[in-house]
Amino acid sequence: MYDRMQELTAPDMEKIHGAALDLLKTLGVSFNEEEALEIFKAKGHRVEGSVVFFEKSDIQRALKTAPKRFTVHARNPAKSVEIGEDDFVFLPGYGAPFVMDARGDQRRATMEDYDNFCKLIQTSAYIDMNGWMMVEPADMPHGTVHLDLNLSNMLLCDKPFMGSPVSRQGALDGIEMAGILWGGKENIMDKIVSVSLINSLSPLQFSNEMTGALIELARHNQACVVASLVMAGGSGPVTLDGVLALQNAEILAGITLAQLVRPGAPVIYGSTSSAMDMKTGALSIGAPELSKNIQLVAQMGRFYNLPSRSGGGLTDSLCADAQAGAESAMALSTAARSGINFILHSCGILGSYIAMSFEKFLIDEEICGMVRSMIRPLALTDESIDIDMIKQVGIGGQYLTHFKTFQLCRTEFFMPAIMSRQNLNAWTKGGKKRVDQATEDKVSQRLAAYEKPEIDPGIEKLLINYVEKRKKSIKEKEDV
Amino acid sequence: MSDFHGIIKALVACDTTRVTGLVNVAIADGIAAGDILNNGLIAGMDIVGEKMESGEMFIPEVLMAARIMGQCATILQPFLGEQGSTPGVGVIIGTVKGDLHDIGKNLVAMMMESAGIEVYDLGVDIAPENFIACIKEKNARIVCLSALLTTTMPMMKQTVDAIVESGLRDRVKLLVGGAPVTRAFAEEIGADGFAADAGAATRLVKLLANSPEQTDHLELETQCLR
Repeated sequence: MYDRMQELTAPDMEKIHGAALDLLKTLGVSFNEEEALEIFKAKGHRVEGSVVFFEKSDIQRALKTAPKRFTVHARNPAKSVEIGEDDFVFLPGYGAPFVMDARGDQRRATMEDYDNFCKLIQTSAYIDMNGWMMVEPADMPHGTVHLDLNLSNMLLCDKPFMGSPVSRQGALDGIEMAGILWGGKENIMDKIVSVSLINSLSPLQFSNEMTGALIELARHNQACVVASLVMAGGSGPVTLDGVLALQNAEILAGITLAQLVRPGAPVIYGSTSSAMDMKTGALSIGAPELSKNIQLVAQMGRFYNLPSRSGGGLTDSLCADAQAGAESAMALSTAARSGINFILHSCGILGSYIAMSFEKFLIDEEICGMVRSMIRPLALTDESIDIDMIKQVGIGGQYLTHFKTFQLCRTEFFMPAIMSRQNLNAWTKGGKKRVDQATEDKVSQRLAAYEKPEIDPGIEKLLINYVEKRKKSIKEKEDV
Repeated sequence: MSDFHGIIKALVACDTTRVTGLVNVAIADGIAAGDILNNGLIAGMDIVGEKMESGEMFIPEVLMAARIMGQCATILQPFLGEQGSTPGVGVIIGTVKGDLHDIGKNLVAMMMESAGIEVYDLGVDIAPENFIACIKEKNARIVCLSALLTTTMPMMKQTVDAIVESGLRDRVKLLVGGAPVTRAFAEEIGADGFAADAGAATRLVKLLANSPEQTDHLELETQCLR
């Protein structure tokens, strides 16, 4: 199959692999976490201070035990998802501190915003998994907000969710709560019920919090995306070639730690590296370099037989305008068609991760639907070709009144809910609205149509109690 | 008046067997064929038209409903007698000379027919003199010209001009339509009206049929667009 972007050959990928191995062996990676250093030492790695060195064989051993695909279970079993090989999932935006409203006014995000995003995800036909910190609620205490996010994820939505990577204890809280949700921690010890995002700190470092979380999540067999976000020209080399070597070293180091903690721990090869804007020093995620890297990451993921992760509907634009649409669709379709398995930030992000927009969430969501529809393979059976029908209609005939068209008119094509196909008259009659304006009403309609998924009231109570108990104990510790 | 709810519902659901079955039952029950046609089938097609406008029904479904309506009209024909077969207005429709694109024109014709309007569909690539001959022959009151291409739009003007020269202009209302056609263009070439889609075209023709003395066509179109 010919794809102009699928540019890495087998020798190219060997070369990138070799460059990463060189970095891992000679420069090493810094892990600012005691237990991690103990684990590496115990497995015979050379460790100097916080810097860990890796031999080729260490990496090979880790790659052998990491699974190429896995299932993430949802509390509603019909919504469990497969990640790896040909299977992929769309997830919402992640980590935005602000909400941008339809008028272009930016405000601090609140817990209510977070809950509303959970509701949009629950009612989404195209978003497969709930995310983590779609927005960062400014009205909740920083030390305990992860408990609130976990609770909303579990109660407001019955799709599989992302877990808490904020710290070792944060990860453990998420695991405890998932245990309650599944009616006992023993029920999730061999069952993947969350995917958490572990980011490196480029170049070549892992923070204390992220490393602690990675260890606990791997120990409990919960999936981790090990991801690198290199700002080319800032936190990494100015060429994408160099970025590939650097991020590869970081990701392989993280994956190796996970496999040392628990061989077979589910991991995802991730990167959302992009270019630093050389005029402002800001990260650009609407850049073509971002989309190019997405494709390269997908290829490297396959090279290692691992599921891969990238960004999706990303843009530098501060409103849901043509720039936002173009940049988001470019990255999202590149991710899906390149074979990325875990497409984070599929919808909602504006302004280089600074804000989430409810309107853009719905627009991006529709792009997700279009992309899924676009890459759905043809059946190519005698029935789907139906040469008899073509002969029957003949030269110069028409198909609009044919029974088959009637039969398939609702199911064969993607039917947009947002993208306009109106003629001038209907558009004028509707007030000449642009897509972002037309979407404003749809946000409130969707939220009004939301119904909380059923849950065992006993389990709900236990979860709420856990959150309250933990909040109290964290507050007591902070007060001391 | 009888209850035609079942027929209307089945027609909107495009359930051929059920609609024809119910129509036969209604005939057997001695319900007047004209009532079945007007209060059942045509009333049902009005709802179909509304549902097409709102996007609830898709074009192939609308056409399926129209086809069922046609089948039922055939069933009713022997019972209708004189009064039922003359709906009161004839519409001539065709694509103008040089334009072979007929999907939109067919859609308009089928929508009008299913609204109980008598339609003479001349087909595609129709020269002005053929429109004129048909106006004379059928004594039609409304002529609909269709064009998809900007290159064939001037032929709409030539057709209008030819109808003026033939002396028949006062006898007919001239309506134009097609993707590139606008209200401004309709006015520019001296047509009486324009409709943006098949639903609006059908409503415009029905309004014209019901109030033939109405001369303010802009007002009519505005009503249609509401």
